[in-house]
Amino acid sequence: MIRSLLAFAVVLSALGSAAVAQDKVPLKIDLPKPLFVGTPRPLQLANLEKPRSGRRPEIMVPAGTVNLSKGQPVTSSDPLPVIGELTYITDGDKAGTEGTYVELGPGTQWVQVDLGDSATVEAIVVWHFHSQARAYHDVIVQVSDDEEFNSGVKTLYNNDDDNSSALGAGKDPAYIETFEGRLIEAKGAKGRYVRLYSNGNTSDELNHYIEVEVYGRK
Amino acid sequence: MSDTSLKSSVLTRRDFIATGAKLSAAVLAAPYIMRGQAATRGDAINVALIGCGEQGRVLLNAAIKIPNLRFRAVCDIWPYNRTYGERLLKKFGHDVRPFEDYREMLSAVPDIDAVIVATPDFVHAEHTNAALRAGKHVYCEKLMAHTVEAARSMVLTARETGKLLQIGHQRRSNPRYLHAKEKLIKDARLLGRITNASGQWNRAVSDDLGAPANHVLSEAKLNQYGYANMHEFRNWRWFKRYAGGPISDLGAHQIDIFNWVLGSNPRSIIAGGGADYYTTHEWYDNATAIYEYPTPEGLVRATYGVLTTTSAGGGYHEYFMGDEGALKISENPKYTKLYREARAPEWDQWVEKGLIAKPESGEGAPPPVKAWEKPRAKLSTGPARGSVVDVRETAELSAWDIPVTLDKAIHQPHLENFFDAIRHGTPLNCPAESAFATAVTVLGVNRAIAAQKMLTFAPEDFVV
Repeated sequence: MIRSLLAFAVVLSALGSAAVAQDKVPLKIDLPKPLFVGTPRPLQLANLEKPRSGRRPEIMVPAGTVNLSKGQPVTSSDPLPVIGELTYITDGDKAGTEGTYVELGPGTQWVQVDLGDSATVEAIVVWHFHSQARAYHDVIVQVSDDEEFNSGVKTLYNNDDDNSSALGAGKDPAYIETFEGRLIEAKGAKGRYVRLYSNGNTSDELNHYIEVEVYGRK
Repeated sequence: MSDTSLKSSVLTRRDFIATGAKLSAAVLAAPYIMRGQAATRGDAINVALIGCGEQGRVLLNAAIKIPNLRFRAVCDIWPYNRTYGERLLKKFGHDVRPFEDYREMLSAVPDIDAVIVATPDFVHAEHTNAALRAGKHVYCEKLMAHTVEAARSMVLTARETGKLLQIGHQRRSNPRYLHAKEKLIKDARLLGRITNASGQWNRAVSDDLGAPANHVLSEAKLNQYGYANMHEFRNWRWFKRYAGGPISDLGAHQIDIFNWVLGSNPRSIIAGGGADYYTTHEWYDNATAIYEYPTPEGLVRATYGVLTTTSAGGGYHEYFMGDEGALKISENPKYTKLYREARAPEWDQWVEKGLIAKPESGEGAPPPVKAWEKPRAKLSTGPARGSVVDVRETAELSAWDIPVTLDKAIHQPHLENFFDAIRHGTPLNCPAESAFATAVTVLGVNRAIAAQKMLTFAPEDFVV
């Protein structure tokens, strides 16, 4: 009897696992054409990760996960960019050429995507600037239901190793921008707003965004 | 202007960041006021930029780090670029006026002291000569001009007006290059007798540049300023009426270093190349040249190659080889190394004097191996037959490092040299006469490729 119950439990467990596995699907991300031109410049950052050889491995997300940020409104700490429009950040154009990126002023700056309603966020992909091998300083990504980010803030990524942006030091690595963008797993974090910080880059003191995609479910 | 202004400290990135974070709210209300605008007229040099495109932006981002500069105007025929230059400078507290036409700019903003020219090569002479005649000092991007005659006119105008003209061969102000030339090659003579030099710049394939659909200039406007159409305007480097092609864009930097380090101009050139890959370009996409340089110690034969279809082959560097040592140098420290021949005197004394650093200890050295990355000892079953040393090979060179680093934007020291020359009379690191000789040397590659034979230079070819 006990043996039968155990066997039944094993079968149930296997079925449950299969059901979970069936609910997970690979996250499909449309990538732009690689743009690297010129010759790489030397980068000196204490927390720079080693560039990966080959393509980024896929991540699995729950079925029904979609891009929630396409066409959603964007605000910023710099409402008058050097060049470009904040709307570029969610317009789906990731080419990275002139007219597809927005350049914000120097120092710590943020952009914020309003998803319209609170959502379950599975992944965020950000393309800062991919026509040159460069790394952005103090990349911090947060979600919250508070538009001002005063409460209920969940930090998903933080590579500000010396707390120079005064939002708390982070242990995530600095990385070199590529056409693949940076994929940040959110693992079901809840929030209506996604805020992304940066603090200049290894080529200049300015802050660039080509595109931000927020994948999740409402 | 006063001499005390140069003593002002430059904010480090971390200082800058920390202050910026504290003032992040204030940044919104007032533009970035950390630098530039803080200078009074007595301290400041008033600057204008003609050409706010790719290279203009590089120079702007280097120049805004230099104390006591006050940008007063920007000029570009393309509103997209002009807006960029204007807004960027306003973020850093500079009160600039935008202009489409440089003539209007020069007359409307009379208190400009210096003009930076970062326009396509075919208008370098027009813009530089106009600014010089308006009484301004000029920093003009390389290559000095797309023809020898245009370059000659710039030398003559600078001479007539008595104004300074610096050409943007920025390696000449790089402290690592200066250290290598003056201390290692000239004073310590670590290379011995230099017999050969080589240089290369290999770049991967790149697409033609486009333009945002809502920012396309009208054909009438383009024609007014000498461009055939928007495609040529955006990709002028590849067309013969505007520029000298990759040998001028990339090779000019390194061939200039041949002339500068060897202290000589070539007596001959032979070259090959062609427009072999791209179908939308006029200029050669690859070029390979051999120069002969007469020097007081004997002839130096130098090879140079530029490729725009591959990034393979070791990036970009210049290489000077002598009978006692060799110097491989680049703006990228990763490609910089000093090699000692086994027959040379020991170099330990130069380490003690701080001129060089022991092998694998310099800026370009690989990071130290962490404990868990160390390779495990391998089981040995005796020497393999293939590993027997071939006695005909030369002993492996020992590699040494150069303990001099550049902790600024790569163009910043050259701009600083220009502004120091205005303030203090510091000698220019690349005055017009010297850059003219480089232009003759570089443009000789295109002539030699077209001629399909060896060409000779006379010493007077390099003199205005």
